[in-house]
Amino acid sequence: MLAVENLRVVYHDVISVLNGISISLEKGELLVIIGANGAGKTTLLRTVAGMIDFYDGEIIEGDITLDGLSIKGVDTVGIMKHHGLTYVMEDRPVFWYLTIDENLRAAAFSGRGRNVKADMEKAYQYFPPLRGLAKKKAGYASGGEQQMLAIAMALMTQPGILLLDEPSLGLAPLITEGLFAIIKRLNESGISVMLVEQNASAALEIGSRGYVMELGRIVLEGKASELAANKDVREFYLGSGEKARRSYRDAKRYKRRKRWL
Amino acid sequence: MPEVQADSEGAVSTLNLKQSCGQLMTDLLQALGSGILVGLVYSLLGLCIVIVYKASEAFNFAVGEFMVTGSFLFYIFFFDLQFPFLIALPLGLAAAAAAGAVIETLTIRPLIGRSPIAMTIITLGLAFFIRACLQLIFGSHSYSFFLELPDISIDAGELLFLSDPLWAGIMALLTFFIVMFFLFRTKWGLAIRATSENQAKAMAFGINAKMILLVVWAASSACIAVAGIMISNFGALSTMSSIVGLRAIPVVLIGGMDSIGGALAGGIIVGICESLVGTYIEPLGFTGFKEVAPYILLLIVVLIRPYGLFGTVRIERV
Repeated sequence: MLAVENLRVVYHDVISVLNGISISLEKGELLVIIGANGAGKTTLLRTVAGMIDFYDGEIIEGDITLDGLSIKGVDTVGIMKHHGLTYVMEDRPVFWYLTIDENLRAAAFSGRGRNVKADMEKAYQYFPPLRGLAKKKAGYASGGEQQMLAIAMALMTQPGILLLDEPSLGLAPLITEGLFAIIKRLNESGISVMLVEQNASAALEIGSRGYVMELGRIVLEGKASELAANKDVREFYLGSGEKARRSYRDAKRYKRRKRWL
Repeated sequence: MPEVQADSEGAVSTLNLKQSCGQLMTDLLQALGSGILVGLVYSLLGLCIVIVYKASEAFNFAVGEFMVTGSFLFYIFFFDLQFPFLIALPLGLAAAAAAGAVIETLTIRPLIGRSPIAMTIITLGLAFFIRACLQLIFGSHSYSFFLELPDISIDAGELLFLSDPLWAGIMALLTFFIVMFFLFRTKWGLAIRATSENQAKAMAFGINAKMILLVVWAASSACIAVAGIMISNFGALSTMSSIVGLRAIPVVLIGGMDSIGGALAGGIIVGICESLVGTYIEPLGFTGFKEVAPYILLLIVVLIRPYGLFGTVRIERV
């Protein structure tokens, strides 16, 4: 349903971040995108969500289509309202000085004539710990609670497609596990999810399909289980290569990496 | 009988003392009251700067010029076109809001996502530009400005509060609370507060940050016009009235740049400071000291509390 075709994005007219990237997201899928820092994952999500202008970036080539319609150049609010695509930015994008309750209401701003109360009830059902914090300022909530809130806020926009940018950032492994279980449940309820992650093992565990990004290109694509078993992915992203022979192969590692590009 | 004489003298001096004490009290109350009334108008100016600052992180230095523009727009409807006050006021404020919206669209919107310093400097340029335009259109002379509001002056014994300052205080306070209600009790207000915190986050959750900025600038322009009309009502309106807008700077800096309650407190503090200095220090020969006193107070406050008295204590996660 969502297709990115040969996308090239440049920041400040000079820094090329996405160099001809093509991905697709099928309906009901939980797509995982992994890659190192600086691979362009966040830029990809920003571009799809129509926020690249805000960061002074520009699409110089390629197209983004949703159900065959181009959404290139449509602003974030338009994409959210008319195409049901919601982007949860990285680093827990909650409003610190608003209460949890107000945060949820603020996220419901764009939806007219919706039953905000019912939506909030639904969001609280997915994230029960938030209910007790409703009157507390979000800035004082813990990292895990803030990330839950961020996703709960995204639910308030009634998304069909959810773009999640590193929800596990700065969270303890146990919290991440719980959060990913909820993401999986959301996906099973019919929301297509595009999950960008550094925590490759946890993400590939819940994902159905995945891409590996490097320097603004897709270097590998496949079923999540296949990627998790892939030797290169294991070595570079899962950190579980054959350690014994590691030192001997360090020289070759660079070479193999180069072949990907 | 020297002793008796001494006694009666003592009684007389006690009486004098009581009288002069009463006089002192009256002076003080009069000064405080007048200070608070003017201060409320300053608070409103401060509030307008604070909401713009919170939403776009730009300090609006053109507040004085916005004020004069709003006052002249009202002047046109009320004095030139002779509409009744209750029709001229909403029309004037709507025109002021529209002017604010146009200015925002032309100067601030292209800078969204850029440095707030750039926007602040734009407002400095705007101040000169608007002042020059107003002088071209209306000339530099004064226009007499008298609203003929119902007389509500309070004359309680020694105390006397004139009708105009009372109206100014009431209107300013009323506007202040309407803005507060809008910000804290409505859906739009919530969206404004969210956008104030972070434009990117707000956009990502479907709040049109551009629209919000437009609304904030328009609302702020209309509220500044209320303050302008009330201040013009004290005397006359001319393009030089914009000087009063400078008073808003100590107000917001004393109260805290991002605090709405701070704007209210800061305005009242500046008003009282001015009025006390006018009553007690200027008669000692320091003519005009009233004009500088708020800035001296500002320096002291900022030295002790750099964020202002009520500036937000940043939430720090440790």
